[in-house]
Amino acid sequence: MTVHSQGAVTAPQDAPPKSAGGQQTPPTTKGAGTSAPRRGRKPLPAGWLPYLLIGPAVLSLATLLLYPLAKNVILSFQKVDKIEFIQRKAPFNGVENYTQLLGDAHFWTVVLRTFTFTAANVALIMLIGSLVGILLNRLGTWMRLVLSMALVMAWAMPIVASVTVFQWLFDEQFGVMNWVMRTLGFSGYEQHNWFETGLSTLTIVTVLVVWGSVPFVALNMYAGLTTVSGELYEAARMDGANGWQTFWQVVFPNLKPFFTVTTFLEVIWVFKAFTQVYAMNRGGPDRASETLPVFAFVEGQSQGHYALAAAISVLTIVMLVIVMSFYFRLILKQEEEQ
Amino acid sequence: MKRKLIAAVGVAGMVIGLAACGGNDGDDKGKTDAGGAKEITVWVMDGSAPKAWIDAVNAEFSAKHPGVTVKVEEQQWKGIQEKVTTALSENTPPDVLELGNTQTAGYAVTGGLADLTKDKAKLGSDAWQKSMLASAEYDGKLYSAPWYAANRVVVYDKKAFAKAGVTPPTTRDEWIAGLDKLKAADPASQPIYLPGQSWYVLAGFIWDEGGDLAVKDGGKWKGGLGTPQAASAMEFYKKLQAYSTAPKDKDEATPQQSTDVVPKGGVASWIGLGWEAGGAEKALKDAGKEADFGYFPIPGKTADKPGTVFLGGSNLAVAERSKNKELAKEWLALAAGKDQMTKYAAETKGALLPNQAGANFTPAAGSFAEAMGKGGVNGRITPVTPGWANVETEPNPLKEFMTKVLKGEDAAKAGADADKEIASRINK
Amino acid sequence: MSTTTAPKPAPAAPASARPAQRLRKRRPLRPAAVAKNLGALVVAVVFVFPVYWMFSSALKPSGQILSKDPVFVFTPTLDNFTKATGVDLFWTYVTNSLVVTVGAVALALVVALAAGFAIARMKFKGRKGLVLGVMMAQMAPWEVMVIAMYMIARDAEMLNSLPLLTAIYFVMVLPFTIWTLRGFIAAVPVTLEEAAQIDGCTRGQAFRKVIFPLLAPGLMSTSLFGFITAWNEFAMVLILNKDKTAQTLPLWLTQFQTAFGNDWGATMAASSLFAVPVLVIFVFLQRKAVGGMTAGAVKG
Repeated sequence: MTVHSQGAVTAPQDAPPKSAGGQQTPPTTKGAGTSAPRRGRKPLPAGWLPYLLIGPAVLSLATLLLYPLAKNVILSFQKVDKIEFIQRKAPFNGVENYTQLLGDAHFWTVVLRTFTFTAANVALIMLIGSLVGILLNRLGTWMRLVLSMALVMAWAMPIVASVTVFQWLFDEQFGVMNWVMRTLGFSGYEQHNWFETGLSTLTIVTVLVVWGSVPFVALNMYAGLTTVSGELYEAARMDGANGWQTFWQVVFPNLKPFFTVTTFLEVIWVFKAFTQVYAMNRGGPDRASETLPVFAFVEGQSQGHYALAAAISVLTIVMLVIVMSFYFRLILKQEEEQ
Repeated sequence: MKRKLIAAVGVAGMVIGLAACGGNDGDDKGKTDAGGAKEITVWVMDGSAPKAWIDAVNAEFSAKHPGVTVKVEEQQWKGIQEKVTTALSENTPPDVLELGNTQTAGYAVTGGLADLTKDKAKLGSDAWQKSMLASAEYDGKLYSAPWYAANRVVVYDKKAFAKAGVTPPTTRDEWIAGLDKLKAADPASQPIYLPGQSWYVLAGFIWDEGGDLAVKDGGKWKGGLGTPQAASAMEFYKKLQAYSTAPKDKDEATPQQSTDVVPKGGVASWIGLGWEAGGAEKALKDAGKEADFGYFPIPGKTADKPGTVFLGGSNLAVAERSKNKELAKEWLALAAGKDQMTKYAAETKGALLPNQAGANFTPAAGSFAEAMGKGGVNGRITPVTPGWANVETEPNPLKEFMTKVLKGEDAAKAGADADKEIASRINK
Repeated sequence: MSTTTAPKPAPAAPASARPAQRLRKRRPLRPAAVAKNLGALVVAVVFVFPVYWMFSSALKPSGQILSKDPVFVFTPTLDNFTKATGVDLFWTYVTNSLVVTVGAVALALVVALAAGFAIARMKFKGRKGLVLGVMMAQMAPWEVMVIAMYMIARDAEMLNSLPLLTAIYFVMVLPFTIWTLRGFIAAVPVTLEEAAQIDGCTRGQAFRKVIFPLLAPGLMSTSLFGFITAWNEFAMVLILNKDKTAQTLPLWLTQFQTAFGNDWGATMAASSLFAVPVLVIFVFLQRKAVGGMTAGAVKG
């Protein structure tokens, strides 16, 4: 990869150095090169060194991300159902998939549901995560160790296993939650169905997603808090600020980038969450807990409408980009300020 | 047709296809030797092929085709459709693969399966059960060899039945009366465990009423759930389900009724397949309890005829893109041939009906297989059309229909909704 | 916060946090402190319970895993672990998982370091576009792209290939790695690097001797993130590698749910074993890694 990009640059000058340059390149990339300063010092810096450094990243992203993405977009303009898929045919059928989707009420329900689900989850994750992070910061060494170990364990649990365990906890017949409710003396939990409706299913999914995501936010929040120096707290206390005010006046401004970035990441992760939503109740009952990725899977792999699923994924990406453009600007601005 | 099958139990079959099979061997062996060591891959579903049996098939195959090894890969039912679809599109698909009988037509139409029409003689198709053959063919062509079939029966706890003074019923009325007695005798347990989405069971009830899951209307298929027949079938299902505390929105596999529910006790009867009964027995034994199961066919409306049941089963197909099609067909002919099928029936103790009457196993009195044989007389399969496979895939409209009605929705309305969905899928 | 403090949040953390902690600790127990600790305990229990349930189910005899009234006291058995590790090809799955995961993470680190350095320290045309691209790459919906990826791999005859799987996982974790490392590199004062160059270091040496050591927390946190992502990946390997000898551990986890009944004990035993490497790495790296995760991106 490096040789290729480098060759393209040197080629116009003269042919022979091409191979020599090729050998020279890797050391430079790795930052070791002894020959680099001798030959490359002057023509290099402004010119092609940065491109050389970003070359491998750009090329690999292009081949393994951009190309499949392009393939996906092309697929979304074709007709590929089970028959075409197995026969490896892909006739174009224009915007048929898109018109079908955009005219489908179910699709719009799913879109709305996905946004609501994402918003609720991210809000809960950020809120609970921050609170637990603050709690961590205020605990004694031992208790902090206990709590962070608990968080780390939750974080490290494989998703496949956590989904199964959560299904058990909320199982209608053998669930621990029904047992807990019964033991606490609540009636109606002899065999309460926690997955009765789409909403209740998504509520359980939310519990799972929040449970799985809070550790990331909490531990990072804690790490962030430790960078806020004690003096700032002291100063705030001198000014007579209470806990709440201290948070808004001292902690929040200092950790604003943390909140921006973490929220950004969580929005992406929750929006794309597939395993948790699908495995919990397969998008049921009656497709009422399908979010966009689950919808795409059900239409694509389960029903065999591969091209339609591609169209769903394209629309998903477009929507995500639009929603996130606000964040892009925010983060790019931070980029400029550095 | 099934009656004929039962009558033929124990009757020595004719030797069919084997001669043809032997004749073709010569050619193929030559090819194989020239090509050096070869391997064919066979996909069987988890639970379909007893190890002793498949080993015997492969031993015989290897003896006939020296240098050819057979790789058998067990597949899980979960997610199998997605897997088979992608596999059939690959350059090196499994050479032989097992397909559910309700799915075969769906794959036949894609061109992913090899056309076996010309190999009928080699495969010995004349001996096959006509009822099983139906699902293996599409549009007059043969795309797979029937392998086995099975149907559900009611499995009951003999002790619980004896305690309540209930004997196996032969009509629906007796069945319900018995369940009432069981309920009275032991209010804490379930007279029958029946989850809300056991749609194969419902299919039987619909057929009993003279309805069907889908019917051809002109050139197009349409769903049959919005009909009065389906409504009365569902009414009976609801009546039965009321005796159970099983979830209304789950099928028999979540949680697995045989291994996760029944072994815990408190279930006097349930509807299941042979392997489920076996699994429950084993789980009970593992837990230190004793299984004392009796079996009876699902009762019909009248005593002269058991209830109609869905005849589940599997076919064996050869992938169109297989690199070793001829060898694959040889293997298929061997596995689906009378000799091996006889062993197969014996190995499964008759709990899985072999593809030909001549291979049948005489089940022991009081066994699952015996009850299954009695009930199987009235066996039927889902509509044979490529689109049916689309209907069955999750989210399955039949299951949604059942849950809705069980939760109180009007059967006609829920049925009409389901029919709309079925129509949109089955005609694709 | 100035950029200078950012690269050392972890070392700085104990130092700055502890005095405050001690102050508080010396005071006699107050209701607030009790409530705080009690609250922490409750939170810890809530978070650890599912994990505990996984481990305890793995140790339960099969009949006691699902029951109307949950079983808390039981005679532990290792049967489930024996069963889980006794499956065919178990060690192949382990090797494959390790090769693919470690390979992807190592590749990502090397490539991301180079790119991150360029983005953080150099001005070049298209830099802003690259930053935007990297950010957007994090949104790549891999789960819904599996079919497109599958079709490409199938048509290129690259199914059942561990190198391809490694490459895919590498690209999955690359954007995050670039982004995080870029933040860490940017946080190292340019003056340090310049000083090194004045001392006669080449730019490469300056990077290796000055910047690289300061990146340790970033490297660890990104490796950890990459490890978790690649180690857990399921959808891609499921569709791409049907050949069992090219499969990884996440597929092993699901093979105990069969038609004969779901062997929950073995599933949970397998899941427990599967979680162990991540836990170990976590505990091992925790001090440095946690915080690095976003500290790089946050930059104070």
